[in-house]
Amino acid sequence: MSRGLWSRETVALMLIASCLPMTLSWLWFGGLLELAELSLTLLAVSMWHIVFMLLRAQPPSLSAVTTAIAIAMLAPEELGVFRMVLGISFGVVMGELVFGGWGRNVVNPATVTLSFLGFGFPSFVWPIFDEPVAWAVLPAALIGMATGAMPAAVVLGATIFGAIAFMWGGLSEPVIMVAGIVLVLVVADPVTSAATTLGRWINGGLYAALTTLFAVGWAGAAPVQIAVAAALLSSLAAPLLDETALAIWVGRRRRRHGRS
Amino acid sequence: MSAFTVRAGLTPRFTSPPIGTGAEEIVTEEAAVGAPDSQNDAFTSVVKEGDLVGQGAAVARSRNSTDICLVAPIAGRVARVTELPGHKLQEILLFREVDGGVRTHDLTEADSESGLRRLMQGAGLWPLLRRRPFGGMPDHAETPAAIVVMAVDTRPFAPDPIQALCGREEAISRGLAALLTLTEGPVFVCRPDNRAFPWLGDSNDRLRAVQSGSRHPQGSAGIRIHQAFPAGLEAPVWDIHAEDVAALGELLSTGQMPMMRLVHIAGEALRDARSIRTHPGADLRQLTQRIVAPGPHVVMSGSPLDGHRSHWLRHRDRQVTVLRRETDAARRPHWLLSALTRSASVRPAIPTAALSQAFGAALPATPFIRALGAGDDETAMKLGILSLLEEDVALADYVLSETGQVASQLRAMLDRIQSEYAA
Repeated sequence: MSRGLWSRETVALMLIASCLPMTLSWLWFGGLLELAELSLTLLAVSMWHIVFMLLRAQPPSLSAVTTAIAIAMLAPEELGVFRMVLGISFGVVMGELVFGGWGRNVVNPATVTLSFLGFGFPSFVWPIFDEPVAWAVLPAALIGMATGAMPAAVVLGATIFGAIAFMWGGLSEPVIMVAGIVLVLVVADPVTSAATTLGRWINGGLYAALTTLFAVGWAGAAPVQIAVAAALLSSLAAPLLDETALAIWVGRRRRRHGRS
Repeated sequence: MSAFTVRAGLTPRFTSPPIGTGAEEIVTEEAAVGAPDSQNDAFTSVVKEGDLVGQGAAVARSRNSTDICLVAPIAGRVARVTELPGHKLQEILLFREVDGGVRTHDLTEADSESGLRRLMQGAGLWPLLRRRPFGGMPDHAETPAAIVVMAVDTRPFAPDPIQALCGREEAISRGLAALLTLTEGPVFVCRPDNRAFPWLGDSNDRLRAVQSGSRHPQGSAGIRIHQAFPAGLEAPVWDIHAEDVAALGELLSTGQMPMMRLVHIAGEALRDARSIRTHPGADLRQLTQRIVAPGPHVVMSGSPLDGHRSHWLRHRDRQVTVLRRETDAARRPHWLLSALTRSASVRPAIPTAALSQAFGAALPATPFIRALGAGDDETAMKLGILSLLEEDVALADYVLSETGQVASQLRAMLDRIQSEYAA
């Protein structure tokens, strides 16, 4: 391990690497149209990164690529350039860059963008995915967890709870496929998911629980819409989960040592 | 300790020629006594240039408490006394004289607690102690809540304390018994496994063993203190190297302070790495000049993670690291790359598995790093900053970025906490 190995950009590269199998298979099945969409999102996201570098001396990050991939894959279809750029501008600026860039944000910019697009333009249909794309979630999660870039506890917590919900019958197969894609793209983000081990387990479980709840009780919602809503709510709950986990940790040390 | 926590930590990669197993004794021709890092204490020289001093004789005294002495590591003649403004001692340079003699200390009062304190302070053992919170040498009258004896060292290229203690079992048990009189609380001995000090734990319930894994930073005193007995504002915890405890034991039996310690010389800019026995304040140029490879290099006292450039072996260091010095032309990247990457604001640390392992999985690393970055003293104190010093977070600094900032943030926060709570 050499100096500065796990700097911010290395983690961003690892996240890109883990998403790569999924993105490539998505491009393979989607063709030129999806490639154009990805180029558009990439252009829009990196433009805002460069604007913030020039105006606020904020170092740009390769995390722009993962954000762009997540938005391109999950955004509603046939939005058109204007709506897409509007949504990205809101999500990336208000969700990430105004806080000081990747690493200081509290919600994932892709989640904010997708929620904005979903609520703002409800008449557009959400995408559906081919089965191989969903299977590519497995290598993504494995690469992410093996390199330590994705919080393993979040992924495992979601998997375990999701499996329970599936056996109980709360989750159908299409919802599980999409929930997996959303899990590796936005939920298992090391920055905006919970930061303590206990908090991460609960965070993953909460995401799966909310997905199940919406799948059962939200009539007429598309699978992507369900998963994105669950991702947004669980990432908003992450600081609370962390606070709880820290209080438990500190309390246990107080009992053992008399001070923390 | 569970199997999971034993394996916590990282193995940073540094290159060096293989270190031999020998232990040649080297007394350097020149040696220097520097003032130890101390928060609010200054030393005054008690010798003049040209004086002949014996090995172990006092050469400087603390201003706060004249009991605390710095001693000459070798017998020699005082060549130069360097002072900072206000007659604060910076360093005393000695030239070796073979017939300078060895100072023998009076042991008649060493049985009592106050007598032992005076003996340790007079024999130059006090600067080898370090207190937490805030670091530095303890105050002369401070009573620690616990003492931690480090018989492990997991820093890269560090000498094995167990090897240094080989054949000195009696001295170390006498030293540990003496340490027990300095505190009302427990004395912890951090050891690599059960085979070292098998007699520990059955004789005295205040003398306890603590196990430590082999990956850094598990053998770091701060991490061990954090887990065994966290330091607090009202509960200072001292730490001392096991070899110095053995030296204390020998001082108590012979009256003479042994100066030699096991030191490793390693690093990428060497042709040959060595394991030697030498004294604090040893001249690092003399120790390295025959084995260093051609080309620009830097000599550091301490490990490659937390070492400082120095001409002399510092008080508590047992490692010399020689690294290649990068010249300016090689270091300067293309201007466009600098424009894109070297913006004014620092980049935040991303929570990864590497980050929590850099703290030995001993504390919630991400909230801790965030509290440090945000200047949140209270959260950092809850998470255990009072047990930590710069060297304990050196690995995190090394792993996270090219230009480390964690250690300086930690020092700034400790200074702020000290000034706020001292009143």
